Amino acid sequence: MRTTEVPRGQGDKKSYLWDKIRQSSPWRSLFRQGYPNTDENRALVMFNTFFLHIHPVNVKRHSLKISYTWGLGVISFFLLLVLVGTGAWLMFFYVPSVERAYTDMQNLETAVTFGILMRGMHRWAAHLMVVAVFLHMCRVFYTGSYKHPREFNWVIGVSLWVLTLLLSFTGYLLPWDQLSYWAITVSANIVGSFPFIGEEIRLLLLGASEAGQQALIRFYTLHIAIFPVVMTLLLGVHFWRIRKDGGLSSPQESTENEPRGAAQ
Amino acid sequence: MSEETREMFPKDSNKTYGLMALVKGTSPMVEKGPRDTVMSWPHLLILEVLAALGTTVLLLFWSLAVKAPLREIANPEVTENPAKAAWYFLSLQELLLHMHPALAGLFIPGLVIILLILIPYIDRSKKDIGIWFASAKGRAIALWSAVYTAVWLTGLILFDEFVRVRSLVSEPEILPGWIIPILVIGGLVTLLYLLIRRWHPTTREVIMGLFSAFVVTYFVLTISALFFRGLGMHLTWPWDLPPGAMPF
Repeated sequence: MRTTEVPRGQGDKKSYLWDKIRQSSPWRSLFRQGYPNTDENRALVMFNTFFLHIHPVNVKRHSLKISYTWGLGVISFFLLLVLVGTGAWLMFFYVPSVERAYTDMQNLETAVTFGILMRGMHRWAAHLMVVAVFLHMCRVFYTGSYKHPREFNWVIGVSLWVLTLLLSFTGYLLPWDQLSYWAITVSANIVGSFPFIGEEIRLLLLGASEAGQQALIRFYTLHIAIFPVVMTLLLGVHFWRIRKDGGLSSPQESTENEPRGAAQ
Repeated sequence: MSEETREMFPKDSNKTYGLMALVKGTSPMVEKGPRDTVMSWPHLLILEVLAALGTTVLLLFWSLAVKAPLREIANPEVTENPAKAAWYFLSLQELLLHMHPALAGLFIPGLVIILLILIPYIDRSKKDIGIWFASAKGRAIALWSAVYTAVWLTGLILFDEFVRVRSLVSEPEILPGWIIPILVIGGLVTLLYLLIRRWHPTTREVIMGLFSAFVVTYFVLTISALFFRGLGMHLTWPWDLPPGAMPF
């Protein structure tokens, strides 16, 4: 740390204490490097911090341009975090049973502190995420960012879009009101009309001939356990591959070569 | 941008010599362009934090202003009219009005997802990576394809409402359910492809035209089913929608 002449007094004591804390062994066991105000520490903080280590130490200037990415990937991921947080909170007040589900929703609106706000945030974040993920896919497409070596990350991205729709769809039934009941009935009937195995898939989805308790518990389990786990896995691979493929795409990677293969 | 990216010894055009220095390095610096990267801390992280904060503020105020919907308790005896799916599936529900449910709900969306996945394996050139729309021509194709799709779809929706394919041809079911929709969609996509070909486009520009058609189709069908479908899923004006027709 730079030492500057500080007149004796309150400020001096404060910075003395601050230095003492930062030199203490608990602090240094927590933060393995000093404040990232030198290039060395700015690199180390990326290596040493679990929550930052998916980032590279350096990023291309091009990939920081707002008009290039519009931050849509980060926004989608952040919305997912909000959804996990508010969703876990909602689980404290919700029982996936036909007898209780709707009453629990009413209690959430009348008896639970911040119930309306938390439910609203979960609902609108879900809608926003569907929009953000789709726009993110459009961004990646129109900037040609799916090209080699990112082909497979595009495939994972398309899967993540479908998974986002499925997560949103399975959550739609849970309030057990007219809106959710008839939306699921309409959707299940579409599935039931598929040739050969449509009716079987419909039964598998609803667990019965009509949407009822079986359907509710199936959608609930898919919504809070199975799809989130798949989403987490795919997202991990998605992020990891961004790094392995050299970060975000940029015009520097372009070559005038015609299709690869012959050249390699 | 900031201190660490500023050139240390800017070249003076009046002098025939430049300042150079011997530096330690792990690899020869031959044919390496000027550094165009910045440290992730703080340049990337500050943007990520701003995106998160902006999203939080928007979401918080939206949730304070608009309550999440909760209708009456689910009742299999009382059918909602119109009964609408979640808005992101309304494009499929709109398709459903015009063809066999298996075609609208399985084959078309399935084909779209497969084609989306195949994009990077069809367009294998490495030209113009990281450039929006690749070129002015690409932008023109994307825009033109969007307009083409929007006009045709609007026309088809109106045609099927006020003339009705099924009132012209209803027997056998396979005609209005499968053959006519497939021929119309296939024909319009082929026509779009032939029209795009007039630009002498690259593979990417062709795919860009088709992708724009997909995005606009998703958009137009969603808007139609969301704002213009009332009782019995018949066309109506948004201000004439029956109460509860909006799935929000």
